[in-house]
Amino acid sequence: MFSKHKPLWGKKKKLKSSYDVVLIGGGLHNLATAYYLAKNHGVRDIAIIEKNFIGFGGAGRNTAIVRANQRTQHNVPLYKEALDLWPVLTKELDYNLMFNNCGNLNLMHSEAAMKAARTTISTAQFHGVESHLIDAKEAKELVPALNISDDITFPIHGAMFHPPGGIVRHDAVVWGLAKGAAEKGVEIHQQTEALAVGTKNGKVTSVTTSEGIINTKQVLISAGGYSAGLINRMLGIKLPISVLTIQAMVTQPLKPLLNHVVSSGAYHCYANQTLKGEIATGAHMDPWPNYTNLSTAHFIKHQAEALCEFLPCLKGVRFMRIWGGLADMTPDMAPILEGNNHFEGFFMNCGWGYFGFKSCSSAGKYMAEYMATNKCPDMLKPFALKRYEEHKLMGETAALVNYSPDN
Amino acid sequence: MMNRLNNLATLQIDPSRKISFIYRGKRYYGLEGDTIATALYSNGIRVFARSLKYHRPRGLYSLDGESSNTCMEVDGIPNVRCENTLLKDAMEIKEQNVKGSLENDMMSVIDKVDWMMPAGFYYNTMHKPAKIWPIAMKQIRKVAGLGTLSPDFKMTGKYDEIFPTTDVCVIGGGPAGMSAALSAAGKGLRVILLESRPVLGGFFEYRLKEYKDGQSYHARAGELAAEVKKTENIRVFTHASMIGAYNNNLITGFQIGRESDCFDERYIEIRAQSVIVATGCIERPLLFENNERPGVMQTGCAMRMAHTYGLLPGKEAVFSIGHDLGLETAISLYDLGLKISCVADIRKEGQDSELVAQLRERNIELLKGSVATMAHGKKKVNKVTITTVNGTASHDYSCDLLVASAGLTPVTSAITVLRGRLKYDDHTGYFLPDQMPEKMHATGRVLGLDNALAIESSGRLAGLQAAFDCKAATLVEISEAENELGRLPGPSRGTKLVTAPVKGRKSFICFDEDTTIKNINQAIDKGFDVPELIKRFTSAGTGPGQGGIPGHNLPLYVAQYQKLPSISIRSTTVRPPIVPTLLSTYAGTNHAMFKRTPMDEMQRKDGGIFRNIGVWQRARYFSNDFSCKAEIENVRSNVGILDGSTLGKFRIFGPDAVKALERVFVSDIAKIEEGRIKYSAMCNDDGCVIDDGIVVKQGENDFYFTTSTGRAGSTIEWIRYHTRYDGWDFHMVNLTDSMGVINLSGPNARKVLAKIVDIDISNEAFGFSEYKEFQLRDTIPVRAMRLGFVGELSYELHVPSSYMRSVWLMLNEAGKEFNIMNFGVEAQNVLRMEKCHIILGQESEQRTNLLDVGLGFLWNRNKPEAKTVGAVALRQAESDQTRLKLVGFKMENNGRAPRDGSLVVDEKVRGYICTARDSFTLREGVGMALVEGDLTKIGTRLEIYEDECGDNRIYGEVVKMPLYDPEGTRMKM
Amino acid sequence: MALTITCPICGKRNGYEFKFGGEERGPRPDEKDLTPEAWCDYVHMNNCVAGVQKEWWFHRDGCGSWFTIHRDTTTNFEVEKVEAEK
Repeated sequence: MFSKHKPLWGKKKKLKSSYDVVLIGGGLHNLATAYYLAKNHGVRDIAIIEKNFIGFGGAGRNTAIVRANQRTQHNVPLYKEALDLWPVLTKELDYNLMFNNCGNLNLMHSEAAMKAARTTISTAQFHGVESHLIDAKEAKELVPALNISDDITFPIHGAMFHPPGGIVRHDAVVWGLAKGAAEKGVEIHQQTEALAVGTKNGKVTSVTTSEGIINTKQVLISAGGYSAGLINRMLGIKLPISVLTIQAMVTQPLKPLLNHVVSSGAYHCYANQTLKGEIATGAHMDPWPNYTNLSTAHFIKHQAEALCEFLPCLKGVRFMRIWGGLADMTPDMAPILEGNNHFEGFFMNCGWGYFGFKSCSSAGKYMAEYMATNKCPDMLKPFALKRYEEHKLMGETAALVNYSPDN
Repeated sequence: MMNRLNNLATLQIDPSRKISFIYRGKRYYGLEGDTIATALYSNGIRVFARSLKYHRPRGLYSLDGESSNTCMEVDGIPNVRCENTLLKDAMEIKEQNVKGSLENDMMSVIDKVDWMMPAGFYYNTMHKPAKIWPIAMKQIRKVAGLGTLSPDFKMTGKYDEIFPTTDVCVIGGGPAGMSAALSAAGKGLRVILLESRPVLGGFFEYRLKEYKDGQSYHARAGELAAEVKKTENIRVFTHASMIGAYNNNLITGFQIGRESDCFDERYIEIRAQSVIVATGCIERPLLFENNERPGVMQTGCAMRMAHTYGLLPGKEAVFSIGHDLGLETAISLYDLGLKISCVADIRKEGQDSELVAQLRERNIELLKGSVATMAHGKKKVNKVTITTVNGTASHDYSCDLLVASAGLTPVTSAITVLRGRLKYDDHTGYFLPDQMPEKMHATGRVLGLDNALAIESSGRLAGLQAAFDCKAATLVEISEAENELGRLPGPSRGTKLVTAPVKGRKSFICFDEDTTIKNINQAIDKGFDVPELIKRFTSAGTGPGQGGIPGHNLPLYVAQYQKLPSISIRSTTVRPPIVPTLLSTYAGTNHAMFKRTPMDEMQRKDGGIFRNIGVWQRARYFSNDFSCKAEIENVRSNVGILDGSTLGKFRIFGPDAVKALERVFVSDIAKIEEGRIKYSAMCNDDGCVIDDGIVVKQGENDFYFTTSTGRAGSTIEWIRYHTRYDGWDFHMVNLTDSMGVINLSGPNARKVLAKIVDIDISNEAFGFSEYKEFQLRDTIPVRAMRLGFVGELSYELHVPSSYMRSVWLMLNEAGKEFNIMNFGVEAQNVLRMEKCHIILGQESEQRTNLLDVGLGFLWNRNKPEAKTVGAVALRQAESDQTRLKLVGFKMENNGRAPRDGSLVVDEKVRGYICTARDSFTLREGVGMALVEGDLTKIGTRLEIYEDECGDNRIYGEVVKMPLYDPEGTRMKM
Repeated sequence: MALTITCPICGKRNGYEFKFGGEERGPRPDEKDLTPEAWCDYVHMNNCVAGVQKEWWFHRDGCGSWFTIHRDTTTNFEVEKVEAEK
């Protein structure tokens, strides 16, 4: 650590004219995919193409919460594996990802919500993921700052407590994976924009970038909120995705106050304390598609209103910074992972909405397997695009989602 | 207490009004008008905080809150920036983030081991072996964070909010802002003027320099302010900071209340046609070793300490500055009694000759082309090393005050948060507006101007431009004003020096995060080569003061280190809130709003326990027995009364009303007869069932229909959406709030109702599934329906809300002899579950379609021309056996019912329990579940997995639905 | 971002008065011979344009009408129709 400071993910290189694999988007999913392609499958001739800098999009804008308490059996194992990977990756990458395994507390504000939580908790327990339904008093013991009285808009009935979850330092994951991938030979090309994907006879042949044309047989687009627009523009494939701005904000730093991630569906709000001491909070989205990343007045006010109710001591804290990122929402809150379907050699990994951070490691691992073997791993089979055509949306949300007109 | 300067026209303190306060448990005194920091300063306090990481002592550096240097705990609130928080009587002030005291902080040893903590060192340490990380993390958490907040902390004070609309919003009440406000107001427009300090005047306000013809800047500020105040169409908010700017000129801010105000702080959200940014400049910190040592302060701070608060900030000072304001400050403070060892000016030339002459007159040594390289002294400055800017010659000067400032930098946050673009200007060394957001105008010092007349002139111009945005005819005047401005002096040359000639181990580019220029070098070497990445890696600019201190210097320094041309320098991102804002201020009054039914009050009196259901509050229970045994048994055996007013209720009429209903309802609406009720459902385009309710024909092309409580708010939107291309002629009225609903259920329901009506309601005259309209007491119009949701003889009475109370009382009076009882939502839930009547959302999830819940019989598939919403998908999914389907079940061996939400499993999850109860009526555990197609056969054994069950399972058996009264005789009796 | 929407009946209002109603897709297709793919395309698929798109809005806290506007998704500003069709 006291040695001379060297570039973490290698020196800038000139773009070659061909690579075995081209990954469009320098975010977490592609960094993880590249890392596992190189590590598990010996595929090392890889270029990651990033228009801005790595971690510019959702990877650097999320609030770093990780958990594996999804609702359905198709999703739980994927997220469970991702959760289990944080300590493993810390070791493998020799980079401290700062996993704060503090547990997540999801507040329930009605009998109906308690029932819904029980389905989720039972699903978790059935799959060996720790998660418990607790009452309001137990929740208060975990988070003394909670207001469990009846005098708030949505009184707290109980909570879903999920001890294995927590917070990971998101930037560290970006840089750690970049470092790990680069050490294995992966090239990361920043400030390089992908402009087109070339195909011939139903096969991928090339990628045109701002720095030149690359010949390749395999392309993966995983560019977070920009994926759906890019895939449509470059390959004419439309996706059931709405790109919405999701915002997050932090307060000024405080000494330890919240020892768990606290969230509430009724209040559309979650809060956790970062290692720096800031209370990070976010949740609800402005329900119209856009690519602006801009924050809104409405949202920060809403967030303050919510927190002042269920964590009233926070009235005495100041918000310091708000930012926005893009979430690519699907109608069933589950991602789209697909390969060799529209074009041979073309893969996509998108539609994660706001679950892209917590899933990046396992999704990257299985996408790498998919691309290396050209066979869809069982873990990813439920996430095919076809499900929308077959009227088989996944059951990640119990209730209808709010951002589309179709509810 | 230090002696204050008096007889200064600029003073904002009232020496006759002492204010007492508590600091570290001891009583001190300040004056009215003091900020907490100036009051503490007058009591000899010099160390105000310890830094986040190294616990270095920090002092008063600025007075506008650009850093956390004066953050303290005030009345239990952490991180209060004392430098610009007004002192109030009996305030309790405490230091934060120290072990010991601010003077002697035991944690300050960390400052000596900074070499162990290069940029990003956390990422490379403490994870090997893995088990030390959790322990290390606990320690990191403890030392991180500034203030402490008790989980029991209770905020006092009043927080308000207003949402004014205006033509022009001017941000900044200095000379440019006031001139702009006056010129826009002169065109008859409504103007809102925001000023963050308690008084108008900006950087004219505290200066006694001559403005024109013997008039001081201060007097000129007063003149403008007086004019602003007497202009009726200018609304002034002082002590009000802008915190956000959003598209279409939505400006947010907050105001701090005075004693006479009805609020402590109030959130302001302004929608303006046009916005003028007159936010002036802040100072650009000078980077040298120990550049944040207590005793180092910026020129504006030193100036205002004396002129605004009457405090000479030191006894003997060294100045290391780079602009004429620094010279002016030196002269001005010298005249007030400050000894000045020397004034080092970064500039080799270009100083205002008059100021140089004044320095000479006073025998103040001016060192051109020189800069401070190091502040000495452990906790306070006692000596400063001054060298030439190229680092050749150096000399030490002893002092107790170092006034240091590299230059100025315009406050452009309002422009950049709206995605306006700035450009680095080589002449001024500023980031100047290059591309302004739509209908936003920059003026005054934001444009780099520093001549007083030019500043005012540019303000008038901006006012006219804003007026033009508001459709005032000002084009001619605009070009005149442009000419006038063109004749006045433009921006003067600024200094570009970023760092003194130092290595930078203790040269802090960001005070809040303890980031040194050495850290920045390390980050760049590691490949973090753009300012946004450097911010993330080193945390620079992410502390309580946000970009206030490093904002300008960081991109300059990064360019300098990488030897990039100045054209490539980009300003760093600024994010709202521009000023840290209390959550209680943002939250404002925060009214919680639920709708209450007409029966709300009476049901509460009757012991109803209420719950939120969507936008409503409803009585869920009527006793503390949440199994609702008494309520349920009463309905089954006697008669109960329920308030169903939250149901969605609509009238639809007009020539195309039937077509519209055919589009959204799955049934054939055209076939409905008058006097009958039709139960039907709506699906979405995936065939998933979203709503159910009844439809009644009231006349030709005139229908009354109900929806579930949750859908009432979006029903009109839904129907209009799905008919938006058709141009059909129909009208809808939402009657949800104007009609109440009483549900009278149980075998004695007819007897009770008969007592208050004067029509024949016998089963023959008013049978099941029939609809009747009648009047009670010749006055109250009632729409009555024979329904069977709970499975008993049942009347649903729809009554105008204003009559609900009367009808309710009449029924209760009539029911007295039968001991009529209330029943709530939970009792209804159990009753209908026994009857296997579904509640959407309970027996369905997002992906459940009409066929899955067994409502396929409602679907009329012979109307493709109606293009019924959901029909296509239903047809396509009809034969899919893998879907989850609704079944009824009872428990094996008379076992207890599972908890709602439990799973149906084998090796995998196969479904889940929707609703299940130990039925008092059926005397066994029963329920409904959604299970995969192959588990739906009668007699199938269901393995049920409950949370916390471990290896234990309970078992149920699929049975025929409905569970209760399968022939339906009871509801038809 | 602070959206404003121009309602054809009520004029320019705060975006929060409205509900977004999806990209313009044209009238409902005829049900006859409709393939699952075509139906899915009509119901679910979006263009996700980074630029100007024609889209539906509903004036929920106002007159209750559905109407279309053109909006630039990269700025969140409404665009005049003429400009949009360039």
